[in-house]
Amino acid sequence: MTATAEGVFGLAQAEREAALLPALTELTEHHRATCEPYDRILGSLGYARGAEFGTVEEVPWLPVRMFKHHVLKSVPDDEVFKVLTSSGTTGAEVSRIYLDKQAAGDQPRYLGRTLQAVLGEKRLPMLMVDTIGIIKNRRSFSARGAGVLGMANFGRQHVYALDENDQPDVEAIKGFLAKHGSEPFLIFGFTFMVWQYLYEVAREHKLDLSNGILIHSGGWKKLIDKAVDNAEFRRAFAADTGLTRIHNYYGMVEQLGTVFLEGPTGNSLYCPDFADIVIRDPETWAEQPVGVPGVIEVVSTVPRSYPGHVLLTEDLGVVHGVDDGDWPGKRFSVLGRLPRAEARGCSDTFSGGPVDVRTSAETASGGAA
Amino acid sequence: MSPIQQRFPAGPDVEVTDLLASLTAEPEGGRLKVGDPRIVDFIVKFARKLLAPATARRFPELASLGFFLRRGEINKALAGLETAGDELRFPRGLVFHVPPANVDTIFVYSWALSALAGNPNVVRISARSAGAAETVIACLNEALAEADPIVAQTQRMVTYGRDEAVTSALSAACDLRVIWGGDRSVTEIRKSPIAPHARDLTFPDRASFAAISVDGWANATPEQRRDAATGFYNDSYWFDQAACSSPRTLFWVGDEAAAQIGRTEFLALLGEVVAAKHFVVEPAMAVQKRVSAYGVAAEGHATAIHFNGNAVATIELANPADVPREWLGVGTFPQATLTGLDEFVRIAERKDQTFSHFGFQREELVEFAHALAGRGIDRIVPFGSALSFAAVWDGYDLLSEFSRLTTVTG
Repeated sequence: MTATAEGVFGLAQAEREAALLPALTELTEHHRATCEPYDRILGSLGYARGAEFGTVEEVPWLPVRMFKHHVLKSVPDDEVFKVLTSSGTTGAEVSRIYLDKQAAGDQPRYLGRTLQAVLGEKRLPMLMVDTIGIIKNRRSFSARGAGVLGMANFGRQHVYALDENDQPDVEAIKGFLAKHGSEPFLIFGFTFMVWQYLYEVAREHKLDLSNGILIHSGGWKKLIDKAVDNAEFRRAFAADTGLTRIHNYYGMVEQLGTVFLEGPTGNSLYCPDFADIVIRDPETWAEQPVGVPGVIEVVSTVPRSYPGHVLLTEDLGVVHGVDDGDWPGKRFSVLGRLPRAEARGCSDTFSGGPVDVRTSAETASGGAA
Repeated sequence: MSPIQQRFPAGPDVEVTDLLASLTAEPEGGRLKVGDPRIVDFIVKFARKLLAPATARRFPELASLGFFLRRGEINKALAGLETAGDELRFPRGLVFHVPPANVDTIFVYSWALSALAGNPNVVRISARSAGAAETVIACLNEALAEADPIVAQTQRMVTYGRDEAVTSALSAACDLRVIWGGDRSVTEIRKSPIAPHARDLTFPDRASFAAISVDGWANATPEQRRDAATGFYNDSYWFDQAACSSPRTLFWVGDEAAAQIGRTEFLALLGEVVAAKHFVVEPAMAVQKRVSAYGVAAEGHATAIHFNGNAVATIELANPADVPREWLGVGTFPQATLTGLDEFVRIAERKDQTFSHFGFQREELVEFAHALAGRGIDRIVPFGSALSFAAVWDGYDLLSEFSRLTTVTG
């Protein structure tokens, strides 16, 4: 399906599911035909080729961690244009996401259309709340780096808020604001960095960010110690810097090009028209009713070069409402990571398996292609 | 070098050199002997504390440990060490134990047998230890009040951070190093050399299996079948199917069509046991099981995978020779039918440890063991006994390993 620049947050839930279901069914068939391991999984689960699904919820999901252990790609070896890996600390497992030329081009297009909902069509001057080192140092090139690099495409005249030693560069921020602060500008960064390196600096130096549009991601774990949740984050930015246009987003490297974006009034994430989420009961794996937390399944029609169209994440979330928010469709929140699986046993080898090694920044998809 | 935290006997932090000096000093009242009564008395008192009703209720695995260390059991084990003729048995020397972090009781079995053999011991206890391990240490320290001072002098349980220097110092000083916890631990610890005369006793990664005789199942009474399901449950679920002796793949041995009937019945019974025990699979573990089972399918080793709730998952193996040996998560059972036990003989590998069985005749099992001829499988035990620790483990007679022989020819 195609997403128009204007309409990426346009479909009500019933229309969305009606549009997604045939596309997901077609994608499932496509991946079965082109990715043998995926076909074996579905075959073992008892799904016949050509299976029909009654609802989006019925389309079979893969646990996102499958991409850390197995080569799952739906393009021939010689058409692999790029292999993206999620970052990991030394020795940690990484996901491998295979893109062909088409997918590498689609992915930033979908991301761009999604972000246009809050940025408009013009590229804005951009303040990156990160260090230029994050993209310069290829050796430690990480999902964070990929996120920064990918997001950079959506702005112009980039200024980095941190110097090469990861220290806030107050003069650089002031210079950026002197030049661009009186017109709309884009701010991007990972949540904890935005708080620590932009909010605190802006408050101290009484900087005016009221024309800014902030896009941020990465979870709240690192901010819990500081008693900062989404509401406090928004309140403090508005009160102390004038910044009110704030959009958190949720996405993952394993589903590139798809981000779930916070609506203008805050506190809820929304699905673009080519995507959806299903919150699943961790006991029965059936869809949870509105208001009941569960495991987040992310659904998107973007992944065509690898079977990532229906993925069970390791995050917990809850749907707050359907077709009743800033934008149509489901509105939801991410509540945090599933606690890691731990087993007792004499062997230590499995401890490398189910360990949660992803950093918060890694759940951010940033359009690295 | 980082200081060492003394857990048993509880005491202030020490440096490794001081620890070693006091451990190896000549004790008052003479050095320990094999089966030394001062150690036996201490261990018996300690075992009684483990068997105290409140403790045993809270940690059933400590009750098993307590039973293992009763005076009668100890005497039986020590009786096997008696020598005759020209052979005299002595302790091996300083033993350094490196147990795994995630089985709370292994370090006690390992230490107790070595102490009974008369050795001074240093046991490295993980900083991650919790629950049952903390209770064990508390019981040991309580029992110490009534013990001979030589116990405190020669038996030490310590915790220290990831400090290779401490591990190296203890390794260099010991006569025997005991490494539990799988391939990675063994490889990691072996980076620290031991003295030329010293040796390692290693417990690397193992795989274990269960088998049901199709005929034996058909001939069993309903009670026996129910007991088989309960025993299999205990073997599999107690340590999240991650103990080295926990059965993973379940083989049915005999006629394929009859096996299908037995399987269905057995899985139904297992489902009832799981429900009766109120076994809860945490969501992350449930996801882990999906990742593992889907993985087996992705690699082409499964013809079908089936989830009965989160607690019981089965994987029909495409070929029993491609049996997965890695941990798949609690309650995940690859299944296959074998025509006879001899078919498993061709599948067995050195790393295979425990084969738990139901419905076989003893002669069949002995014949099976002879056919395996020590190339794999160290233990053949009935359902319900897979996790029972024994003084013979992984093919080693531990009391023998913890002692040495001097021969005197007159």
